[in-house]
Amino acid sequence: MSADLDLTALDDEGRAALERLIVTLADSKRMMGIRYSDWMLGAPSLETGISTSSMAQDEWGHARLLYAMLKDFGKDPVPMEHDRPASEYASIAPLDEEMPDWAALVAVMVLADGAITAMLRSFAVGTFAPARSRVPKMLAEEDFHSSLGAAWYRRLAEADGEARDLLSGATTAMLPALLAWVGADDAAMQQVVSAGVIGSAGERLAAFRNDMRDLLALIDVDVDSATGSDAWDEVRGRTPGQPAEEAVARARGDLNRALLVE
Amino acid sequence: MNEIVYDVFARKDRGGPLTHIGYIDAFDDETAKVYAWKAYDEEKWFEMCVVQRDAVIPVTDGEGLFAQLKRARS
Repeated sequence: MSADLDLTALDDEGRAALERLIVTLADSKRMMGIRYSDWMLGAPSLETGISTSSMAQDEWGHARLLYAMLKDFGKDPVPMEHDRPASEYASIAPLDEEMPDWAALVAVMVLADGAITAMLRSFAVGTFAPARSRVPKMLAEEDFHSSLGAAWYRRLAEADGEARDLLSGATTAMLPALLAWVGADDAAMQQVVSAGVIGSAGERLAAFRNDMRDLLALIDVDVDSATGSDAWDEVRGRTPGQPAEEAVARARGDLNRALLVE
Repeated sequence: MNEIVYDVFARKDRGGPLTHIGYIDAFDDETAKVYAWKAYDEEKWFEMCVVQRDAVIPVTDGEGLFAQLKRARS
């Protein structure tokens, strides 16, 4: 492991690049929590509903820890969490809209949550000290998410008919955006890679593909030949689009604004 | 769905009693572990384990839950 990153030695572009990375991870965690919470009362069993409820809480806890890293830049995380419009959210595209069915939620549990975890695993062993101290606990909690996701993915993939078709459709729809995000190699990502904050695009993609390979093969998707989306938003570090206004209103806590205590 | 009943046991502290704290329905051991951990997370457990209810062998033949279930199945 390299020496700790000295934030004061970073130029403005380097600081902006690291900030963009933290925000896209934090926003993705927050929206992941929203998508799990959508299924607290509609999951296939009581146990699954309790699990999605618990995972939603995990994700929001992780998001809070990631937003708090912005304090290291002298930035107040409260407006980031509670005041931004949807157009500024940098969460990954597959979380933009509510999942239409349980198969899509399972696909998101495996692929989207898996993509965030692949990025965090790399972030956790880089030069940014707050990530090295705070991210490992998140990754330990994520083990339960990936176990549940993998078990459900296998179950639906091995089923005949509609369940398998829905899983396959959701997987192939979200994979390009996730490959683009994990494998991002624009100027900002190159800055954080060269500072040792996170592994190279090739390393991150290899790790993600390795995690996904066996599960996606069950629905005849070859993750090694799949390619990422070309479209890219360099300002936010995600593919174009934005999360649904209704979801962002929940993420910001609009309904409880009068009760906000920080 | 064909689900399996798993009984959940946990102990709070090292050396403390392993206590039956409930049950969950799951379709395999892997999901049983996740469901149990997520459903019974009110304590910071030192140890938790799940056992397929079918695997429990009652020692007494009385009115205990497992003995009754065993009789009902046979």
